[in-house]
Amino acid sequence: MIFWLNTFRLAWRELRHGFRGFGVFLLCLFLGVFAVAAINSFSEASRAGLQADARALLGGDIELRLTQRPVPGPQRAVLLEQGRFSEIAELRTMARSGKDTNLLVELKAVDRGYPLVGSIGTPDLPVSSALTKVDGVFGALVEPALLERMGLQLGDRLRVGQIEMEIRGRLTREPDRGFNGFTLGPRVLISQDALTATGLVIPGSLISYSYRIVLPAGTSPKATVETLNSRFPEAGWRARTFDNAAPRVKRALDRLADELTLVALCALLTGGLGVASAVRGYLAGRRTTLATFKCLGASSGLIFATCLVQLLLLATLGIGAGLVAGGAVPWVVSVLFGELLPTPLIPALYPRPLLLAASFGWLVVLTFSLVEVGRARHTPGALLFRGEVEPGQVKIDRLVWVGLLLTSAALIGLTLLTSEDRRIAGWFILGVLGCMGLFRLLALALMTLVRRLPRPTRPSLRLALSNLHRPGSSAPAAIFALGLGLTALVVVTQVEQNLVDQVSRTLPEEAPAFFAMGLQPNQLQPFIETIRAADPDARIDRNPSLRGRIVRIAGQKVSERKIPPEVQWAVRGDRFVSYSKALKPDDVLVAGKPWPDDYRGEPLISLTADLGKGFGVQIGDTLTVNILGRDVTGRIANLRQVDWSNMELNYAILFSPGLLEKAPQIYLASAYLDPAVDVRVTAELAEKFPNVSLVNVRQVLENVVQLMDRIGLAFRAIALVAVLSGLLVLAGTVAADRRRRLYEAVLFKVCGATRGTVMATYLQELLMIGVAAGLAALLLGSLSAWLMIDKLMKLDFLWSPWLAVATLAAGLIVPLTLGLVGTASALREKPMPYLRND
Amino acid sequence: MIHLQNLHLTLTGGGGAVEILKEIDLHIAPGETVSLVGPSGAGKTSLLMLISGLERPTSGEIEVDGNRLNDMTEDDLARFRQRQLGIVFQGFHLVPTMTAEENVALPLEFAGDPEARNQARSALETVGLADRCRHYPGQLSGGEQQRVALARAFVSRPPLLLADEPTGNLDAVTGQKIIDQLFNLQQSHNTTLLLVTHDKGLARRCDRQLQMTDGRLLTESRS
Repeated sequence: MIFWLNTFRLAWRELRHGFRGFGVFLLCLFLGVFAVAAINSFSEASRAGLQADARALLGGDIELRLTQRPVPGPQRAVLLEQGRFSEIAELRTMARSGKDTNLLVELKAVDRGYPLVGSIGTPDLPVSSALTKVDGVFGALVEPALLERMGLQLGDRLRVGQIEMEIRGRLTREPDRGFNGFTLGPRVLISQDALTATGLVIPGSLISYSYRIVLPAGTSPKATVETLNSRFPEAGWRARTFDNAAPRVKRALDRLADELTLVALCALLTGGLGVASAVRGYLAGRRTTLATFKCLGASSGLIFATCLVQLLLLATLGIGAGLVAGGAVPWVVSVLFGELLPTPLIPALYPRPLLLAASFGWLVVLTFSLVEVGRARHTPGALLFRGEVEPGQVKIDRLVWVGLLLTSAALIGLTLLTSEDRRIAGWFILGVLGCMGLFRLLALALMTLVRRLPRPTRPSLRLALSNLHRPGSSAPAAIFALGLGLTALVVVTQVEQNLVDQVSRTLPEEAPAFFAMGLQPNQLQPFIETIRAADPDARIDRNPSLRGRIVRIAGQKVSERKIPPEVQWAVRGDRFVSYSKALKPDDVLVAGKPWPDDYRGEPLISLTADLGKGFGVQIGDTLTVNILGRDVTGRIANLRQVDWSNMELNYAILFSPGLLEKAPQIYLASAYLDPAVDVRVTAELAEKFPNVSLVNVRQVLENVVQLMDRIGLAFRAIALVAVLSGLLVLAGTVAADRRRRLYEAVLFKVCGATRGTVMATYLQELLMIGVAAGLAALLLGSLSAWLMIDKLMKLDFLWSPWLAVATLAAGLIVPLTLGLVGTASALREKPMPYLRND
Repeated sequence: MIHLQNLHLTLTGGGGAVEILKEIDLHIAPGETVSLVGPSGAGKTSLLMLISGLERPTSGEIEVDGNRLNDMTEDDLARFRQRQLGIVFQGFHLVPTMTAEENVALPLEFAGDPEARNQARSALETVGLADRCRHYPGQLSGGEQQRVALARAFVSRPPLLLADEPTGNLDAVTGQKIIDQLFNLQQSHNTTLLLVTHDKGLARRCDRQLQMTDGRLLTESRS
């Protein structure tokens, strides 16, 4: 009891002198804890928003979705009986204006019941009058992006299919839009009657039909879906209930929060170094006091406990500030950017993220300060009589090592436990440990190398070199902090550059000008002729295509089979499938053999090798695809490697000829045009074939990059926090070292060192540290950027050496300036206080 | 060797301006040994700081070995200390992260002397610490640390040595040994010595004893 009383009494007495020297300590903790708390609070608020808005996001209690065909009359009648009902049709098509502009749009035709839940955002007029037919003209609501891109205004006419519509209002919010990260064009909302009038609803049109129902109170959505499925087992619809309204959004959100948390943890761990150096600096300044305590009878345990309690109390301040700021983020974001958010947000104080951030904060403090406090525990009382004893020579108790092991294990455990993707978290932990090991090794290697170098004649260089390897050198800490900061900078700039350059690099030498979707078989010839009239040499690739959904793999239902995340896209919804006599010349067979040109036997399938591997299927296994409500089973005849980057028309699932020819189908085409006629041909095709969607390749790639850029923004923001932490740590290292530098500068002055010599000494010392840390950062940062671009985002990585060098040069300016300013201020210090007898 | 004329030093701190030294006039001939005694706070250390060029006077003239310190730049003063001055402190003030040899070699290294390390070893040999060259200050006793400091002060054979309570942190026997070494070195190099001490017996070993109180030089006596 007396022990703890003394501990708290001493800790309090030490603390009441203020927090001088703890600026970096508090800031590092604040930044790291803030980042973790902010990301997780935001994610919780979004998840709560999704949960609360789930019915609006789905558009009802249940939704049934079909592709290319509406539900037959009898099924529709049963659906109508279930509750309030709404029917929606969605398709992509070309919108044209009188100004000869055309644009691919996402058309959505709704009935009078829409939306069953939530409301449409349109600032211009009530929805009820926006879509109706007035004086023979239907109305449409359009996303503001359409007006901007087509140069139109409210009241202007828009041609879709065979009719003209009046733009009656802007569509600013759709309750059921959800988080649709990537779209091919802006939304155009019209009525079901208008859709019928466009003439776009023809067999084979790529229309997706959704049927939403709000059930009477007390009716279970899940039970209703089960009843409907068992009543119409062959319906072929995808049924969803509101409690699983946005699984993809939730998954994306979880994954994003996960990855951002890891980046934030990077900031916190980097901050841990700042904590360590601040603690080292502080305890170095308290050595005489601690020695006095020892001489007055304080036990090692009391000193250890006092220092630890003091640090934890201080840490609580930094952590608390981080929690307050991080916890407030949902409110701040909601007020400032609420309208721009793709998902609803419910601002509230979420305890779980705050507890998580606080736990990380305290664990980081303990992990990074235990060794220093362990050293302080053994501050010798003799120090008062014999002068300084190097801290490096003090032994650290086994108990402290055990403590360190426990806190590190807790830190690793917490990271793994709270992460959705343990694999990524595991790699992150290995990466952090690898970084720590690498920078430590680098510091040791540098110190050993310098020690063995011949002694140069220039005094400043000689001193700089001996500064690097002598006991108590700050080189390891500085290399660590600078190395991590520079690594983060290299990663951010290389990733950024790769994302920006992606369009120009992704486009193959010969890329199609556009893809055409939804060509009816009878439109194919006139379509080709129209292009050839403008460009006789144009290359036009085309394939018959059908929409199909994989329902069974090797006889097993998809829902019952474990599909790895990297190929889940293939079973999530409808995909284009095709049939062909022969494989493409560029495709490389990796297993099986192609079917003969005149093959007419049971359906065979050629599958891409990645899907084959992901599905775990062999040659001879079957794959069942539901095409237009009918299950078609084929045997896998071969696996082929497809190079998607050449942008040729290709299919993941290709059937042998013989069966699919009879099914209603459309054509997909790609056209390689002379750029001079590109725009004119597109306009002409849009006019002649209003039902065909023309996807401009460059525009799509730009959209993709824009989306990646938006996601990258969050990474950049958090990475900035990590870089800031690195700089703080470096400032802390310089600050912790200031006392030694001041004292040395005074002694050097006494021994006749000029200011130039002292400055040159420190400049050379910093340069050597900078170059060593920079080279390691170059290697590590480039490697991490490659991992992110190539492995995580699955894009081509191109290393930019000049950018890397420029980044390092810019990154080194800050620490060099910091170090020099610190040295210059040390040189301005009056020597008297340091030399005067105590 | 040392000529001080009407020297004043006023320092301004949180509590306002404090006059540390007042109207100091002092002349010390080459090879002379002078002791400076007085109570704590009398301004003895401050006077040493002014003579070593580590502090600038508020007014008055300082000339040391023909160098008028008032006109010298910071770097000129540093070069002056390299060759013309050695200082020994009560608290030793060795660089804790450098070995004894490295500490002693510092003034010569700053002066660009390629033989710095050899001379440092020989200086340590002179003070009886040849076997302690590679030891760090923390591994040496107080007496040994002060002998390292003594070797450092004499290594460049300066014409002037300033010593600020060199035995203040040592026991009587060790202190006596240090003082004996200090005077031996002073005599063998014919170094001018200005010694600050509380020890009247030690003060009497010098050619002249100066008494200082409240920032003023009061009385003077000769041995």
